[in-house]
Amino acid sequence: MTMVAHAEAIAAFRFSPLTSPLAIVVVLSLVVGLLMVVLFGYTSDQKAISRAKDQLKAHLLAVRLYRDQIPVVMGSYGKILRGTGSYLKLAFKPLLYVIIPITLLMVQIDRYLGQTPLPVNAPFLLTVHLGEQSSNAKAADASMAVDAMNKVTLELPPEITMTAPPVHIDADNEVVWRLAGTKDGEYELKIVAAGQSATKAVCVGSDLPRISTVRLRGRFWERMFSSAEPALPEKSPIESISINYPDRNIEVAGYGMNWIWLFFILSMVAGFIFKELLGIQI
Amino acid sequence: MTLPFGKRVRLVCLLGLCGAALSLFVCCQLVRGRAVSSRKLIILGIDGLDPDLLTKFMGEGKMPNFARLAAQGSFRRLTTSIPPQSPVAWSNLITGMNAGEHGIFDFIHRDPKTFQLYFSTSKVEGPKRSIHLGSWVIPLGSGSAEQLRHGKAFWEILDEHRVPNYVYRIPANFPPIAAKGKTLSGMGTPDLRGTYGTFTFYTDDPTAAAGAVEGGEVIQVEVKSNRVASDLIGPDNTFRKNAPPSTEPFTVDVDPLEPVARLSVEDQRFILKEGEWSGWVPVEFELMPVIGNVRGICRFYLKQTHPRFQLYVSPINIDPKDPALPISTPSGYSRDLARQIGEYHTQGIAEDTKALTAGVLDDKEYLEQAHTVLTEHRRAFDAEFPKFREGVFFFYFSSLDLNGHMLWRLTDPQSPAYDAAQAAQYGSALEEFYEQIDQVLGEVMPRVDDNTTLLVLSDHGFAPYRHSFNLNTWLLNNGYIARKEGASGEASEPFADVDWSRTRAYGLGLNGLYLNVRGREREGIVESGAPADALLREIRQKLLEIRDPKDGSQVITRIDFASEAYQGPYARTGPDALVGYNRGYRAGWKTILGAFPADVLEDNTNAWSGDHCMDFTKVPGVLLSNRKIAAVSPALTDIAPTILSEFGIAKTKDMMGQSVFQGR
Repeated sequence: MTMVAHAEAIAAFRFSPLTSPLAIVVVLSLVVGLLMVVLFGYTSDQKAISRAKDQLKAHLLAVRLYRDQIPVVMGSYGKILRGTGSYLKLAFKPLLYVIIPITLLMVQIDRYLGQTPLPVNAPFLLTVHLGEQSSNAKAADASMAVDAMNKVTLELPPEITMTAPPVHIDADNEVVWRLAGTKDGEYELKIVAAGQSATKAVCVGSDLPRISTVRLRGRFWERMFSSAEPALPEKSPIESISINYPDRNIEVAGYGMNWIWLFFILSMVAGFIFKELLGIQI
Repeated sequence: MTLPFGKRVRLVCLLGLCGAALSLFVCCQLVRGRAVSSRKLIILGIDGLDPDLLTKFMGEGKMPNFARLAAQGSFRRLTTSIPPQSPVAWSNLITGMNAGEHGIFDFIHRDPKTFQLYFSTSKVEGPKRSIHLGSWVIPLGSGSAEQLRHGKAFWEILDEHRVPNYVYRIPANFPPIAAKGKTLSGMGTPDLRGTYGTFTFYTDDPTAAAGAVEGGEVIQVEVKSNRVASDLIGPDNTFRKNAPPSTEPFTVDVDPLEPVARLSVEDQRFILKEGEWSGWVPVEFELMPVIGNVRGICRFYLKQTHPRFQLYVSPINIDPKDPALPISTPSGYSRDLARQIGEYHTQGIAEDTKALTAGVLDDKEYLEQAHTVLTEHRRAFDAEFPKFREGVFFFYFSSLDLNGHMLWRLTDPQSPAYDAAQAAQYGSALEEFYEQIDQVLGEVMPRVDDNTTLLVLSDHGFAPYRHSFNLNTWLLNNGYIARKEGASGEASEPFADVDWSRTRAYGLGLNGLYLNVRGREREGIVESGAPADALLREIRQKLLEIRDPKDGSQVITRIDFASEAYQGPYARTGPDALVGYNRGYRAGWKTILGAFPADVLEDNTNAWSGDHCMDFTKVPGVLLSNRKIAAVSPALTDIAPTILSEFGIAKTKDMMGQSVFQGR
């Protein structure tokens, strides 16, 4: 088999239904559903949860059986409330064990499935947000701030073209460019502000690359959840560089939806099925 | 091995059941096959395709596909409707009946008791009952959208005979009637505000008067720190007391130096250069939190950034992906089409002629918008036509009609709106639209085989519209209309200052002449029967005698009485007579809505400079086919019988015409 044939075979596999975003979400949901249940089972006090649920059932039964005896019913309601509290307390720790890794996993998956790469020749916006220091505080007056924004420049690779002059937005300390990619690929855009340069990755095409919509300075937690690129230098005059990638919608029965909704529904269903199969109390 | 008797009986029953099911399936397939009989009929409905222009362009070699079709098959002038207005004409075609039977006489109709005007083809109403909670109005029930055209549409009959069909944007089909095939509503479909299309123009130019203009609204804005913040205007919020219009905020950040701006609408941001159009931008208007949102789509055109800010926003169209009103059958078809070809105009009259008339868009800008409309139609055509295998495929194009209206002046030096410089620049624009339609025909013709009939037709032709005739002013001057004491100038409401107790006749709509009939109109004074007939004859005589003082031309060449022109149950609900203007003349813009401009005859300096709402004999449509047309003078009412006849279906008893392929 020649190299070309190999490449074609790989390309065919990459775009086959098995590797489509829908298939990935389905498989991922099943695996995560199973893992959630198993992890919950290992990290929880199964006996105590079982006892708490039995007690709740007993109090609910009492409400039905003794509905003509108001003091008993009221007492049972109180016990149901207390029992629910105990149950939540028992479920809290294992849920914490489950939620943290799942959240981190979802953040990573979202970088692949949350947005689509930029289609070839479709316009997109590159927004450079300057820090207060560079645009206002250091500037003696408003005109100097505008001047600082006007001096922000952009260097583009040949595959990316500028389709309109940049818009300088004083009110937001932003400079916005309208660009378009002419060829599939991953490129770097170089922005120079106040003598310092910074880069931003951009993905053009139709594949499933890891996408970073924004590059940030500082803001650890925000970066953790929304950026897949290294932080901008602390002393950079640029606070953020963002690209408006299109949201990816996964088609299910004629309706497009964000992958998270589908993942949420499927992993819950999978979790309930696996709980029954594995005999784990939730 | 032998089976017990009971099991054998069960097995025999099961096999028998399977056999019966299989036989039923085979029979159904055979019956279906026989009904369709594998015949194909393709109809290109091209609004306003004029026979004279077509002949000219074919002669000049600019429409080679039409010339080939005419040479190989037939080319006839197609008798149009009375009056020759699109909603009437297409209703004639759809039903095979005249206006007396389908009940569509004009774009606008009136309630004779209240003189309220309404769209002739559809009625959209909110819920009948509601309760008021503070400033909120809670509806008790749902609203309704009702189609006012009567009579069966040809595709309803095809459905009954299991003939597959596809009908794209045929006029006078909003809301679309229930159908088995795919249909998309066309002319008559409102924008999200419930109008035939209302654009908005945002500017900081102090000389631009804020407020409503015909077909649009001008909104004064302030540019503060290079930012404009304003609202998109949505539908009236009937969940609120007094139904104020719903709004959705947007901002525009203008670059301090360059002619470019960033627009932000909801969570969407995009950059436009001066002179650039946006794509379709989805917008959601909140009528009631959580439960009452409606979605629309609009396009932005950044006309100018410096020194004056000027931004045009198209009428907010119903979003085809989530339509607020029914616009297709099946209901999900508009969404499916949008997925295939992208968002598209859903408003019935998609070309924004009013923005050109109001001077908000110039010729170049209007043409860009009009080309977008045709591009969308062609994209839909390219998506749907290859799927056509059997039955009827009907596809409608609006471009020649709307652009005939707007661009005629550029080819007519006698037009009061003629501008030599503009004509030099855009004089060939209408011709280019004709050429594009020829290209569409070029895509169709290779698919036409011996088993396929092709019909290319238009509802009417075109003529110059150089002068306006103000019928109501003439009726006033001639004593047929009386105004109240002290009334002068122009009233804000139709017929607001009319003294009905002394008025005998009035004009309404593009061709309508009504008598103020006792028992029908609220304050009718003319007795029906002989007195009414005599009055009509008297008015007709006088109208036909009118000559243009400039050159002696006859202004009105024909007047048809409804009693003679129409048959059917609705014949007496419309105008009593139809005024047929000579080529070059048409009812003035104000007179059609019941106003009284000072002069009876006026020059038409409006960009809307070509028209067809005239004497119907002067603006015939066209009919071309790959087959020989036997009828010498085919009419629009012959088309529905022709369609049915192609599939061996007899026309209904109400249909007036007969197949154009049958000798008469």
